[in-house]
Amino acid sequence: MDPGRHPVAVLDVRGLEVRFPGAGAPALRGVDLHLNREKMVVVGSNGSGKTTLLRSVLGLVLPTSGSITLDGRDVGALRGATRVSTNLAEVYRLISLPVRDLAAVVARLKGGDLRELLARLHEFELDEVLGKRLFKLSTGQQKIVGDLFAVSFHPELVLLDEPFDNVDFSRRRRLVRLFQELPAAIVLNTHELELLRSFSGWSLSLLFEGHLLGPFSASDLDRLFLTRGAPPDALASMETSLGTFSVTRDAGDRPVKSATSLNALVEALT
Amino acid sequence: MNLVRSYTKAMLTNPSLWFWAVAFMAFWLAIGAFVESQGVGQGRSTILAYTTSWYAIIVLFSLSMLSVAISNSMTYGTSALVYAFRFTRLRPEGYLGSLVGGSAMLGGVLSFVLLGATTGMFEARFRVPLWPADPVGLVAVSLLAGVFFMTLSVTLVLIVINYLGLRSSSFVGFVPLLLTFTLGEAQLYVALPRWLIYASPFNDLASLLYQGFSGEPATLVLGSSSAVLDWVWLLTAIALWIGTLTASSLLLLRRVRARQLEEGRQI
Repeated sequence: MDPGRHPVAVLDVRGLEVRFPGAGAPALRGVDLHLNREKMVVVGSNGSGKTTLLRSVLGLVLPTSGSITLDGRDVGALRGATRVSTNLAEVYRLISLPVRDLAAVVARLKGGDLRELLARLHEFELDEVLGKRLFKLSTGQQKIVGDLFAVSFHPELVLLDEPFDNVDFSRRRRLVRLFQELPAAIVLNTHELELLRSFSGWSLSLLFEGHLLGPFSASDLDRLFLTRGAPPDALASMETSLGTFSVTRDAGDRPVKSATSLNALVEALT
Repeated sequence: MNLVRSYTKAMLTNPSLWFWAVAFMAFWLAIGAFVESQGVGQGRSTILAYTTSWYAIIVLFSLSMLSVAISNSMTYGTSALVYAFRFTRLRPEGYLGSLVGGSAMLGGVLSFVLLGATTGMFEARFRVPLWPADPVGLVAVSLLAGVFFMTLSVTLVLIVINYLGLRSSSFVGFVPLLLTFTLGEAQLYVALPRWLIYASPFNDLASLLYQGFSGEPATLVLGSSSAVLDWVWLLTAIALWIGTLTASSLLLLRRVRARQLEEGRQI
């Protein structure tokens, strides 16, 4: 049986802790995440553990404790699960070739049609990059190419790390539309709270110092508050180096929507 | 699933590899042909032995540059390998097979180009025709040499990646080059024990290349009238080395760990 043919319906992360050698604090602490064919945006500041979370799900980081399963199968035991994809640039460094040839390699490895990816690159006015190697592209171009690699070839679970970094406004809008319309489960990391309005209908989780809070609904953004302490009506709470904080609905210390980043929000409360 | 064409293309279009594996080696061939050749006698057999010795060692040096390239490439691609083995159709066997195919092709191409450079320069210097006695055998040994250097470098770099961390990876790529220098060069000047020559893959390859070019059996000291080596044993030994290294590469590939590039920063 070809495991690549299995639909990837459920991502289940339980009690995930990641501690890097020599680092004082864990990068992720007891993270629980359950995704069932839905789209989720994870918001966190730089260094909060967003990328580590995605790298863990992909098996690029070994957990200190906890488990990660895709459709009930441990991620470490997966082979040929072609329906899972990501925009992380590091996974496309298999071979040093111009983008056109690299795209052909990725299409073959994913069992997809190269024309689909070439059409997307054309749609994003990136024909000029086809003859260049990835490292010769601008940071924004590299990011879009990674995004388009991730969403091509009919994925069922897409892990997107900061997909809008250094991407111009017009292409950001097109990427948002593409992610919205993609018939796949998505975990999208971003540090930009103001982007959340683009993702109404998606699940929302907040990541701070390795703690994952949520899920909430991105549509409820205007109703969510960050509150110092752990009031009884809190939706979720976390212990951080700066004290205990909670997410509350309709009332609290600071509205989440007012901040540009999660860090700014926490700093405003301390 | 294999990517032989892609890897062959990536190797053949790598300008750095061409510089170090061909241009830099051509420079040393020029030194051999026009500078160090002053004391070489005038008889054709002497000239042929001298030329062949240079060719055999230069091909090994050239292919050890391939080892450096492969080590570096794998160091940069650990996350890509882990991802590819889990979330694409690629398997460790297919990946290794692609590298074997690409390296064999490159071994053949490099050997052929260096053969042209060697005969061109040494014929110009000595005014004696120096075309190889067994071109087909020479190509076959060159393909084996490409595969040997690739499997050796993959084994070494994966030991570092999986168990030691990337800090050592910058250095391990040079191990094949250093061993080529130590063992390959030694056979030009010193009568190494027969068992050591048979056991050393670098000397097996140098001896087989010597025989393919000159048409004469290789000797303990290449190009001298010392004891003759048996090509069957040489070929058997290199086949065993390639088999062992291929198996170890595969085992290590199945356990490959994703490493962060910054781990490899030295200073």
